[in-house]
Amino acid sequence: MNRKLRAMIAVAAALCLLAGPAAMAEAVVELNVFAAASLTESLNQIAELYKAVQPDVTLAFNFDSSGTLQTQIESGAQADVFLSAAEKQMDALAGGGYLLDGTRADLLNNKAVLIVPEGSALGLKSFEDVAGDSVKLVALGNSDVPVGQYAQDVFTALGIWDKVSAKASLGANVKEVLSQVQSGAVDCGVAYLTDAATAKGVTVVAEAPEGSHKPVVYPGAVLRASANADAAKAFLAYLTTPDAVKVFQSVGFTMAAP
Amino acid sequence: MARVNWFPLWNSLRIAAISTGITFFLGLFAAQRITSAPRWLKGALDTVLTLPLVLPPTVVGFFILMFLGPKGPLGSLIKAWFGWTITMRWQAAVIAVTIVTFPLMYRTVRGAFDAFDEQLIQAGRTLGLTDAFLFWRVKLPGCRDGILAGVVLSFARGLGEYGATSMVAGYIANRTATISTSVAYFWQIGENGPAYFWVAVNLVISLAVMTLVNLLERRRAA
Repeated sequence: MNRKLRAMIAVAAALCLLAGPAAMAEAVVELNVFAAASLTESLNQIAELYKAVQPDVTLAFNFDSSGTLQTQIESGAQADVFLSAAEKQMDALAGGGYLLDGTRADLLNNKAVLIVPEGSALGLKSFEDVAGDSVKLVALGNSDVPVGQYAQDVFTALGIWDKVSAKASLGANVKEVLSQVQSGAVDCGVAYLTDAATAKGVTVVAEAPEGSHKPVVYPGAVLRASANADAAKAFLAYLTTPDAVKVFQSVGFTMAAP
Repeated sequence: MARVNWFPLWNSLRIAAISTGITFFLGLFAAQRITSAPRWLKGALDTVLTLPLVLPPTVVGFFILMFLGPKGPLGSLIKAWFGWTITMRWQAAVIAVTIVTFPLMYRTVRGAFDAFDEQLIQAGRTLGLTDAFLFWRVKLPGCRDGILAGVVLSFARGLGEYGATSMVAGYIANRTATISTSVAYFWQIGENGPAYFWVAVNLVISLAVMTLVNLLERRRAA
């Protein structure tokens, strides 16, 4: 390689190195929002709306089971906002001092429902039917996943948990449960009403009986380690404005009592 | 120890063993045919057949789900004819492991075949021996160490398969749980004790297997 070419490559490389930090210095505020997987569709829609409200804030979502997100935060992941599908994971973080004081609030309510693949001929009508012999496989979240915990509560209340867990395919988050039901490889599954509303290929056959599980409450909070606490608080506040509420309600969430 | 559910060990072993059996015959067949194929075809087939070696197992898992899931082109036929769904069963894991380990067997056997002195075959033919006899009783024993190394490597890789297995068979206790998916499961639900246990089991088996591979390779080089 001749000297001229080498010199050009060196300059190009140096420019690339400079461009990185320079670009970041002018960049917008990026908020890392760790949210329960069941919030995927609604938060993606809200992010579009938020662009008009706060054009200099970009939202980077990490959707997964609340248990996984809790573990990630405890392991040092950079998160600004945490939206959990159950109080348990938020309580754990509060106990560990991860939350910014005064930012925790209950945001949404949801319902656990029994779903079947579209076109299922099994004729399931209620959660009790899952214990029947016609159901060979049921998709549930594992015990680290809120929707798995709610499902276990329901089946325990009905006295059929042992039977059901013996034929349970345990998923790592609610979207895995959904995809197993959608594919038709399992006979039924327990997910959220909101997931069933946005997913293709599944039908809701029953809602969990009243009182059979802890109320499904989605709390949200800003994390103490957030480098953008004000932007994070503003985003959380936006989630209770009428525009955001409309999106949540359109997929089946109800707003939690303040 | 009495409280340990040993199913994942038994399941992992049977999946790895059956897959290795399948790849053994598939690998031998492919290697033999391709060794004598024209050069241009050889290269193309080599590439295609070794592809699963470099593909992320999740890609393999995804393709299997799309084809063999109950709504997929092949899966829906199987369901219509036999009333059977293969995904979410340990048999689906066998398919995943076979695909993922095939390149290992294929490459190792091809290497052994390429190094084999074909003059022995030709000499045998002049003595009136059939091609079948020459393949099974002259060529294979002559390539024994290489073939054995391929078998052991495939078995070891099959035992450790996670990504594709997790996608196509999921985690169903006492039905599809393998050592690798059990480790992931126990870690996820925060029970590190059982996770450590299965990690240790896997380490012991893997150490034993790799020691065997090294012994075989050294004998071959000697």
